[in-house]
Amino acid sequence: MPILPKKKVGIVACSGEEMPEGTVSRVAALKVLEELRPNDTVTICLPLFLAGGEGDRAFARFYPTVAIDGCEKRCAARATEMYSGKPAASIVVTEVVRRNGLGPIRGSRRLNEAGMQAADLVAQEVARLVDQLLGRTGQKATPEAVVEEAAAEVPEDEEGTITLCSCGSGIPVQKVSVNGRVVTLIALPAIFEQFYKAGKRPGGGTTQELLEVTRIYNPIPPEEEAAYAEALAREYEKYCRKQVKGVP
Amino acid sequence: MSPNRRVVIVPCSGIGKTFGTVSREAAYTVVEDLRPDTAELVALSLLVLGDEEARAAVAEHPTITIDGCRLACATKMVQESGFTVARSFTVLDAFRKHRDLKPEGISSLNPEGQKLARVLAEEVAEAVDELAKVYPDNGGSDADSA
Repeated sequence: MPILPKKKVGIVACSGEEMPEGTVSRVAALKVLEELRPNDTVTICLPLFLAGGEGDRAFARFYPTVAIDGCEKRCAARATEMYSGKPAASIVVTEVVRRNGLGPIRGSRRLNEAGMQAADLVAQEVARLVDQLLGRTGQKATPEAVVEEAAAEVPEDEEGTITLCSCGSGIPVQKVSVNGRVVTLIALPAIFEQFYKAGKRPGGGTTQELLEVTRIYNPIPPEEEAAYAEALAREYEKYCRKQVKGVP
Repeated sequence: MSPNRRVVIVPCSGIGKTFGTVSREAAYTVVEDLRPDTAELVALSLLVLGDEEARAAVAEHPTITIDGCRLACATKMVQESGFTVARSFTVLDAFRKHRDLKPEGISSLNPEGQKLARVLAEEVAEAVDELAKVYPDNGGSDADSA
């Protein structure tokens, strides 16, 4: 099986600008992303996610997510569930504030001291959840290769079928024609790259293997297996031709 | 929404890019500093996920969107939610007009980013004044409140 991009945790913050708790969610998310677990987390951009950003939605199907919401309306958790899948974990700022007996949170634009304390506590809780989701217990992130770096090497091809998340979550997706309709396959560029590097050339056995690996990350209806296999064989052959010609 | 506030501002809400931070800072500058009595923020996620209060605010008042980048998520989502965007602004356009103000930082903007947000906010505030004149039903003019 190819070594696919490193497993990470997606952080979705509600970011609600109209209330201080929304700002707490945003500050906490950034603290995790930039300071506490920079190599193990990526941000999932909520507006892009809502607006149909396939890269972000693909990421949330592919990797576990933690939703950080300012209030009980749980916009981030609900949006993640609506468009990708149930978040692996969900935190509500107002609950953290209540549980820790913090004073009133004020300042949507600039948080007061209680707000900053809340952001710290939420960030620590999220970092713990990240460790749990990655099968660790409290240790810091490992400074190894990250999804963005791997993904950054995958260029958009001349037909514009390979795309990446616009806000840096970095999972490559590729649009492929299956039975006359266009489907988006998560991680396909990375799968192709790994197959090619492993010396697997287009052909019967490789096609079947491609189908099996692609199925791990994408739902393939049993009745459409043959059509998917045909599409994967065609696209992989195209990919290999480009590598031979040195076309990126 | 307060009865006197007649214009809604919807910023992009993105937290992954500097331009998203500038859009949010510009929105805060409008509603807190420049036109506190006329303009009010509505969060994009609330609107899109069907919050009644957010939807009513956008339905009943002219709406200005401030997008970070060319993907224009705020504008797109207001329109796809069935509402009209009265004016739309993007940080990218503002930056094109002010190349010397290159924004950097996400958690906290560099001084150039803060200036860019201010410049953009001033443009938005002018649009707020124009729209407030067109829709004067809910109160007096606040155009001089800056």
